[in-house]
Amino acid sequence: MSLIRMENIVKTYLSAGAETPVLKGIDLRIEEGEYASVIGPSGAGKSTLMTIMGCLGSPTSGRYILDGEEVETLNDAQLSRARNEKIGFVFQAFHLLPGVKAIDNVMMPLLYCHKVPADARERARESLETVGLGHRLHHSPGQLSGGEQQRVTIARALVNNPKIILADEPTGNLDSKNGAEVMRILDQLNREGRTIVIITHDPKVAQHGRRTISLMDGRILEDRRHESVTQFEGSPSRAGSA
Amino acid sequence: MRALRNLKEALRGLALHKSKTLLMTLGVVIGIASLTVIVAIGEGAKAKVLARISDMGFGPEAFSVAAGAGRLFFARTKTPTTLTLADVDDIRAMPTVQAAVPHQRQSMRMVYKRNNTFTRVYGVTPEWQSARLWKLSDGSFFTDEDMKRKAKVAVLGATPAGKLFGDEDPVGKMVRIGKVYFRVAGVLEKKGVTESGFDPDDRVIVPLSTSISRLFRQTWLFSIRIHTLDPSKVQETMEGVRQLLRKNHNLSVFAEDDFRFITPEGIMEWVTAEERALNRMLVLISAVSLLVGGIVIMNIMLVSIRERIREIGIRRCFGARRSDITQQFLFESIFVSILGGTAGCALGATISFILKKFHVLAAKPTWESFVVAFVFSAAVGLVFGIQPARKAASLSPEETIR
Repeated sequence: MSLIRMENIVKTYLSAGAETPVLKGIDLRIEEGEYASVIGPSGAGKSTLMTIMGCLGSPTSGRYILDGEEVETLNDAQLSRARNEKIGFVFQAFHLLPGVKAIDNVMMPLLYCHKVPADARERARESLETVGLGHRLHHSPGQLSGGEQQRVTIARALVNNPKIILADEPTGNLDSKNGAEVMRILDQLNREGRTIVIITHDPKVAQHGRRTISLMDGRILEDRRHESVTQFEGSPSRAGSA
Repeated sequence: MRALRNLKEALRGLALHKSKTLLMTLGVVIGIASLTVIVAIGEGAKAKVLARISDMGFGPEAFSVAAGAGRLFFARTKTPTTLTLADVDDIRAMPTVQAAVPHQRQSMRMVYKRNNTFTRVYGVTPEWQSARLWKLSDGSFFTDEDMKRKAKVAVLGATPAGKLFGDEDPVGKMVRIGKVYFRVAGVLEKKGVTESGFDPDDRVIVPLSTSISRLFRQTWLFSIRIHTLDPSKVQETMEGVRQLLRKNHNLSVFAEDDFRFITPEGIMEWVTAEERALNRMLVLISAVSLLVGGIVIMNIMLVSIRERIREIGIRRCFGARRSDITQQFLFESIFVSILGGTAGCALGATISFILKKFHVLAAKPTWESFVVAFVFSAAVGLVFGIQPARKAASLSPEETIR
C-alpha cells in the first residue's frame, strides 16, 4: 500500500471570477521510506501540491489517499489528527512561533496529540538533541541563526514520529553551509527509514532524493528514479550524533 | 484536557502580546470600576436612609398606621378624627402584634420664664420610649403611674430644651405648654437634623391620657405605631389592621381607607426615588462604558488575529483543530476581561473606600456587586470574543501558512 496515492488531482483557484488551474491532473504514488523531490519552476504548482499532500487544502477534484485513508472523507478533527500524526512539516520560512522557546516550539505538535504524552517535554528535548540543538533549548527563534531555526523546525517535524516529512524549500532561506547541514539531517533521517518529500526549485537539493518528480504547468513532466548523489556513507553527520 | 491546553496557549499568547493585553484589559477595568463605585454609592445612600429610618423607631418588624387617607406623611384631610383608642385596643388583641403605640400630635407654644418656642407636642403611652429606643440624656421618662394619674409631666426634645433652658438643667422645672403647666421629667438624647432639614429633636412628649383630657382635649389619635412579632408578619398584620379599621370605621366596600400606612419601605422609596433615577442613569453610563470595553476587546482581537494569522496557520499545520483555535482565542478574550473585571473590582473597591474614608460620599461596596461585575466582565469577554475567535478558526490552514 502506497503511503501517498494521488489520482487525477486537479486544483483550480478562483480569483475575481476567473478560474486559474494550478494542478491539472496529478497521478502520483509515494511508498514508505522513499526520498522524493518535487522540482519545478515557480508557478508550476509545487506549493499547491504540497498543501494538498499535507492535508492543508483540498483538491478541486481527484482522489487523495494518505496512508490508506481517503482524505476527502475526513472532517476537520480527523484532518487535524492526520496532520498531527502522519505529517511533519518543514517550511522555507521556518514558521516558528515567535517569542516561544525552541523546546516549546518543538513540543507544540505533541500538545495537539489525541492523547498528550506525559513525557512531551522530554521528547521535545530529545528531538532537539537529534538535530544538534541540545544546547539551545531555551532560546527563542529571534535568538537563533537561520540554520538553527531550520533545525528547530526539523526537530518539531520529527517530534511526533510522523510517517512523512514534507519539506518545502528547506534550504531556501539558508546560506550554503547551513543548507548543507539541513540536507545532511534530512538525508540521515531517510537513511533511518523516514519517508521524505522535498519541494524545491533547486536541482542540487532535489538530487539528495532518490526520485525526482518534475512539475511543469500543473502536470508531472518527468518522474525519474536515480541514485542519491549526496548520500555519503560514513560522513560526519550532525544528525543523530548530538 | 484539551481546554486546559488551549487555556495555557491562550495565556502564553497574552503574555507574548503584553501591550495589547493591557489595552484590552483597560477598557474593562474602567467599565467595571465605575460600575462597582456607582453601585457602592447607591448602596451607601440606601444604608444612610435605612439608618435614619431605624432611627425613627422603624425596625423591619414595625409599621405605622396614621389617621386620614393619603400617602406616608401626607394626609389629604387636615385633621382626621377617625383613629381612636378603641382601634388601638383591637389592634393589640391581634395575634401577630407585639405592641401598638398610639400617639397624638399638635404644634403648640411652650414657655419657660421669658423664653418661648413653638414645638410639636406628642401625647404617647410610656411604651413609646422602649419602642423608639430613644434614650434620655437627663431625668427619666414618665411611667404607667403618670399615665394613670394623667400627670402633667413632660419629656423635652433637645431642641426646645436648649431654646428654653440654655445651660440650665430643665429636669424638675415647670414649663407651660399652651395654657397648662408641666413638670419636666427628662430630656431626650439629641439626634441631629436630617439631610432633608427635619429636626427630630424639636418635640416634647407628654402622657397620652394627659394630652387627651387636659391639653389637646381630643380623643382621636394621630397615628399608631405597630410592632409585629417578626418581620415576616408585617404584610399579614397590615392586611389584618386594614380590615379591622375598615370595620371599626364602618367603611363601605366602595369607600377608600380613611387611614394610611407608613412603612420603612415606603419611606425608603420616597426618600430614594430621585436618587435611584440618577443611579439608574449612572449604571447605564457605566454599562455603556463596559460595552465600549467589550468592543475594544473585539477590535484588538480582530487586529491581533490578522497579525497572528501565521501562528494560527502553524498551529493548524501541526494538528490544532478549528475548535482548538476557537477555544484559544476565546480564552484569551475571556481571560482578558476577567483580568479587567478583577482589576476593575479592586479599583472600584479602592475608590469606594477612599470616598468613604474622606467623607466625600457614603459609598458602601457590597460583595454582590463584585460578583455581578465579575460575571458581567466574563460575559463581555465571551460575547465579544466569539466573533474574533470564530474568525480565527475559520481561516483555512492553506492560506494562513502562505
